[in-house]
Amino acid sequence: MTVVLQQGINGVVLGSLYVLVALGLTLIYGVLVQINFAHADIVTLGAFSAYFFMHGLGGGYIPSIAVALAVGGALGWLMNAAIFAPLRRQGNELLPLIATIGVSVMLENAMLAWFGPVPYAFDSPLSNDVIRFAGTFITLQNVLIIAVSVATIALLYAFMKFTFLGKALRAVSQDRETAGLMGIDPDRLVMLTFVIASALAGMAGAMLGPVLVLTPFAGTSVIVKAFAIVIIGGFGNVEGTILAGLMVGLIESYTTQYLGPGMIDIVVFALLLVMLAVRPTGLIAEKREENV
Amino acid sequence: MTLRLRVRRLAAGMLTATAVAVIATPLHAEDKTIKVGALLPISGPGSYFGVQDKQGIELALELVNKAGVNGYKLEVKYEDSSCSPLPATQAAKRLLEQYKPDVVIGEECSDATLAIMPLMAEAKVPLLNAGSSSIKITEPGNPWTFRIMPNEVMQGVDIATNAYKRLNARTAVLLYENTNAGIGNAKVFNDTFTKLGGKILADIGFGRDVNDFTAIATRLAGLGPVDVIPTYTLEGQGLKITQALMQAGVTKGGDGHAIQLGTIWLPFGFEQKAGKAALGYIRIVQFDPTDQRPAVRDFIAAFKAKYNQDPTHLHPDAYDQITLIADVIKRGAKDPQSIRDGLAATRDFSGVTGSAEFDKTNQNVKMDTVHYMETLPDLSWKALGWN
Repeated sequence: MTVVLQQGINGVVLGSLYVLVALGLTLIYGVLVQINFAHADIVTLGAFSAYFFMHGLGGGYIPSIAVALAVGGALGWLMNAAIFAPLRRQGNELLPLIATIGVSVMLENAMLAWFGPVPYAFDSPLSNDVIRFAGTFITLQNVLIIAVSVATIALLYAFMKFTFLGKALRAVSQDRETAGLMGIDPDRLVMLTFVIASALAGMAGAMLGPVLVLTPFAGTSVIVKAFAIVIIGGFGNVEGTILAGLMVGLIESYTTQYLGPGMIDIVVFALLLVMLAVRPTGLIAEKREENV
Repeated sequence: MTLRLRVRRLAAGMLTATAVAVIATPLHAEDKTIKVGALLPISGPGSYFGVQDKQGIELALELVNKAGVNGYKLEVKYEDSSCSPLPATQAAKRLLEQYKPDVVIGEECSDATLAIMPLMAEAKVPLLNAGSSSIKITEPGNPWTFRIMPNEVMQGVDIATNAYKRLNARTAVLLYENTNAGIGNAKVFNDTFTKLGGKILADIGFGRDVNDFTAIATRLAGLGPVDVIPTYTLEGQGLKITQALMQAGVTKGGDGHAIQLGTIWLPFGFEQKAGKAALGYIRIVQFDPTDQRPAVRDFIAAFKAKYNQDPTHLHPDAYDQITLIADVIKRGAKDPQSIRDGLAATRDFSGVTGSAEFDKTNQNVKMDTVHYMETLPDLSWKALGWN
């Protein structure tokens, strides 16, 4: 029974990490109907920002999360302003999509040149503090991961539901042209979406850093799962993404316990195929226009 | 122009040409090179091998090329083979087609080495390996592939026997990456340990894409008391496993009972990266910096002089590959076929990592320096002197 409970805790922690990564992906898809292949690299860059803030500048781990968030947001702004927005203005939806692949390759190779290929040991000071209770355990790092995920989800929800910008963002998501006729500037809101999504990715990188084997390709190891989560949750659906993220985290933990870690990808991607076949709209079926 | 003048000019021209030829001949002799292709993981999870191998190779080249060997200089061309079959195959093809090496060294990971072996055999270029442990590399035998390091059977039987007899271990859990080397090493431990009377409580393989090992550590913690945990992974995943086992209270670093056992795969410095989670970790290496053999002392002094740092046990593995090739050239080899024959005929070569002499499968059977290291509470290590 203890093992079952412990794997439940492990699954929630892992799921929380996946949610942090997948939220940005789903936000961009919800507003732009665009897949951002560079998302994984922003996650990696967030992890490196946090690492160098700690080891290069002597900063603390918690402030390093804020640094990664800021770096991610700034990168999102830069990418959209310099590359994606001009391409979107040309009216071809395929161009920005292809550009995200180009940006991804460029970022990976830039990081390879800057940081080298050897894995970095990104240790959070909270990883060694273990809370043991009734036969179960959780590190302070994992408590922080859950807390940050819950806080992020709550803030995102509040932003979307109760602020003018959030409502405007949903309006753009539902119908960009009509939103424009109502006085909303869709370009500014698309920029805002990129900044929020990339900031979330950067922050996810800082949270994942101590979990991942940190190399310039670290983000790609979680992004495939994040894509699966976005599909299982329903493309662009925030609630569905949260639910799917937690579900995949739990599936991974219990699969490891009862079937072996070698079966994880088989189970997760079998679920993905089943969802595509049986419920292509995702876990929470809504009209795409109302997703964000 | 008179005939005499013409003859005089012709003679002067011939004299000049002869002089140039005379001067150029010794220069050409000094220019003779043996081309060494190096297939190393420069990127990806095994890149720490490539980075350290390159340092060892460059040091050996510097020393060997100072005076040359039989009028030859050694030249190395590096290609990134990424510890993975597909990039290794592509890198090997590039190397063979464009560089046309006389001999190739590498790869580190067994899967990659197994992938490039047929290409080397087809091109009739000898491959000298110092990092892959899978038994399939030398058995049933391949005339073009030679291995200096101990294979998985040599390592695994030794580790399992020492675990049972010296650590009095009776239960074990196997943790390994799902690669030829991971599966092979784990199987040898399993076979030897159970034959001695030990019990394997769980056999857990995982892919290289697994990042979070908490679930695996939890499963392991639920199995009851475990004496030893032989672990076969690259450094990155190894770190995460060691830390997860500590967090789950399984190993000594987490006030548990189990001792992790490791192989040659992990570099020195692993302990510092893993922190207190590495407490009690026992692993084998082929290089003991406290070894007093002159070859080891000289190597350490030269390494420190060149890089201003201490060598890890991966540096001398690569260093020995170059010095062994130089030894073969010294014995008269000059092209791929004669280098292959020279390697096969090697007797009593003495390197930093030990001796070399190949059996009929081209496996080195004269390694005499497999050391066991234990991590101490201050994260330093001590040699256990089990061999």
